[in-house]
Amino acid sequence: MNERVKLQEADRVEAKTPEDLRRADEDLRLPAIAPREQYPIDVRAPEAREQTNAVGQRATRPDNRLQGLGQLKYIADFSFPGMLFARIKRAGIAAARIVRIDTSAAEAMPGVMAVLTGSEIPVNSFGPSYQDQPVLAQDRVFHAGDGVAAVAAVTEQIAEEAVERIVVEYEPLPAVFDPIEAMRDDAVRVHEDGSNIYTSKTIRKGDIEKGFADSYRIFEETFRTQMVEHVPLEPHAAIADWDANGRVTIWSTLGRITLGRADIARTLKMPMSRIRIAGTIVGGNFGGKNEITQEPVLALLSKKTGRPVKGTYSREEEFLATTTRHPFIMDYKTGVTKEGRILARKIRLVLDGGAYCSWSETTLGKACILSSGPYKVENLLVEAFAVYTNKTMTGAMRGFGAPQVCFAYESQMDDIARALDIDPLEIRLRNAFDEGAISPTGQVLHSVVVKESLAKAAERFGWEARTP
Amino acid sequence: MTDIAITVNGELRKASVPSETTLLQLLRDNFQLTGAKLGCDVGDCGACTVIVDGAAVNACLMLAVQAEGRDIITIEGLANRQVFHPLQQAFEESGALQCGFCGPGVILSAKALLDENPDPDVYEIRDALAGNLCRCTGYTKMIEAVQNAARILRGEPEISSRMISR
Repeated sequence: MNERVKLQEADRVEAKTPEDLRRADEDLRLPAIAPREQYPIDVRAPEAREQTNAVGQRATRPDNRLQGLGQLKYIADFSFPGMLFARIKRAGIAAARIVRIDTSAAEAMPGVMAVLTGSEIPVNSFGPSYQDQPVLAQDRVFHAGDGVAAVAAVTEQIAEEAVERIVVEYEPLPAVFDPIEAMRDDAVRVHEDGSNIYTSKTIRKGDIEKGFADSYRIFEETFRTQMVEHVPLEPHAAIADWDANGRVTIWSTLGRITLGRADIARTLKMPMSRIRIAGTIVGGNFGGKNEITQEPVLALLSKKTGRPVKGTYSREEEFLATTTRHPFIMDYKTGVTKEGRILARKIRLVLDGGAYCSWSETTLGKACILSSGPYKVENLLVEAFAVYTNKTMTGAMRGFGAPQVCFAYESQMDDIARALDIDPLEIRLRNAFDEGAISPTGQVLHSVVVKESLAKAAERFGWEARTP
Repeated sequence: MTDIAITVNGELRKASVPSETTLLQLLRDNFQLTGAKLGCDVGDCGACTVIVDGAAVNACLMLAVQAEGRDIITIEGLANRQVFHPLQQAFEESGALQCGFCGPGVILSAKALLDENPDPDVYEIRDALAGNLCRCTGYTKMIEAVQNAARILRGEPEISSRMISR
């Protein structure tokens, strides 16, 4: 006791000037956080207002250093005070009517802060072309990956457990999984209103009947491609924070924040001016993060709880509940001359659209335009259909339909070359676009270097020296 | 709850966590070392790779309690105040990463390799990175970067050729 008094007196004696006071203050302050580490390698930055060259300079990505140091912050690395974790219950059944959703057991769990079902979403539909996708399935389930309810809890594990305690009673409905079957008039309707063929496109050029009649040989083949998931290493993730001013901020892996905001505004039925979306570093997109997924759900959970809510998809959900690449069924009928020149081509494309439209319209359009390849085809008929099935929805993925049709027309090119005993490179050179060629949809093409590129590539990889 | 004491990047760290906590959760949630990423949670992608007693390990498959008393190196422990690790330098200079989500895991797998084998050939590098999936790059520049880092570590001049021997 006496010592403490003595010490205090000593302090008082020492602190005579403002400088002494300041020093005493600093001495008391313990370094709570170690100083931020300084990395010694100089970052070369130009002086202010200095003109620098870009051409001829070696370029590195501005985020490369942070990546290597593990300092780049993705959504999963963000956290906010009081943040809750959301999980979504997946239907696990391809087609059904939802009879009843019982969330009482989940709500009673300690640590569960809110549960959300489709009926609580102001406008429960979204989509970039057609608004045919529910945020959470409400009356009907259209594919096994549909979300039916969501939970926000204090830990991810509690949220996961709570999701398992939600009971959903289904009345199973007949489902259709094959797009060709789905195109029939008597097929099961995936969506009650309207045909399963939800978008189609036709390109007509020249006279295919005459072209086929003039042909030396006609080749017919069906090509199929499979469904592909983007598998970005970073799963879809978002954090929503609904503040007391009635504004919502969403940090998201969304690649298209402006389009996403319009979709979120629609589903939440609130003006865009009250929604702020922060796009962050994305750990791989490949087209799979081009539209909203769980963002409205997180926003509403945040509104219910008054706390920020984070949602991260599991790898399983990435496969079940996010878009994939369209499987194509491609019928190619091609008439050629004896020299292998294409006279006429008839193409039918069937895109397995899955349960929702997503970016199918765009994919269908691009696939159509590119379906005859970089080749001169004077007489062409392309008919393309996107079809609903009770499967995971298909959407944008690198190339928007171009890789699928490329597989078909190049495979057929090889078939024709083999049958007519023409060199596979030669047959392509005979048919390829020239400068000023006209595309199937009438565009005049400039800077066409298909032939030069092929010739150069063949020279580089030693086409002449091959062993057939 | 279980008490755990492990060495992370040379520092003794303690935590009290539920028994089912994985090493990855311990590092990310308790120690705020978010360099190791959660990609698949089933040991397929390698985004969570850390070095445990010298070996590259999927932190999502190891329980925190299994790491008790062990020596862990995470991506945050590679650079110190004096220098970058040559791997980090080489990865930056060759632009070996694109989205970067796999990066910390890849670099640590490569470090575990170079600690054992200072002069690996391309096949040995590929083998060491086999547990790390990358969807962006196609691995070519990563392999080039690992070779360059190995040269720096051996004290040889770097070769910044774009072509690597296959």
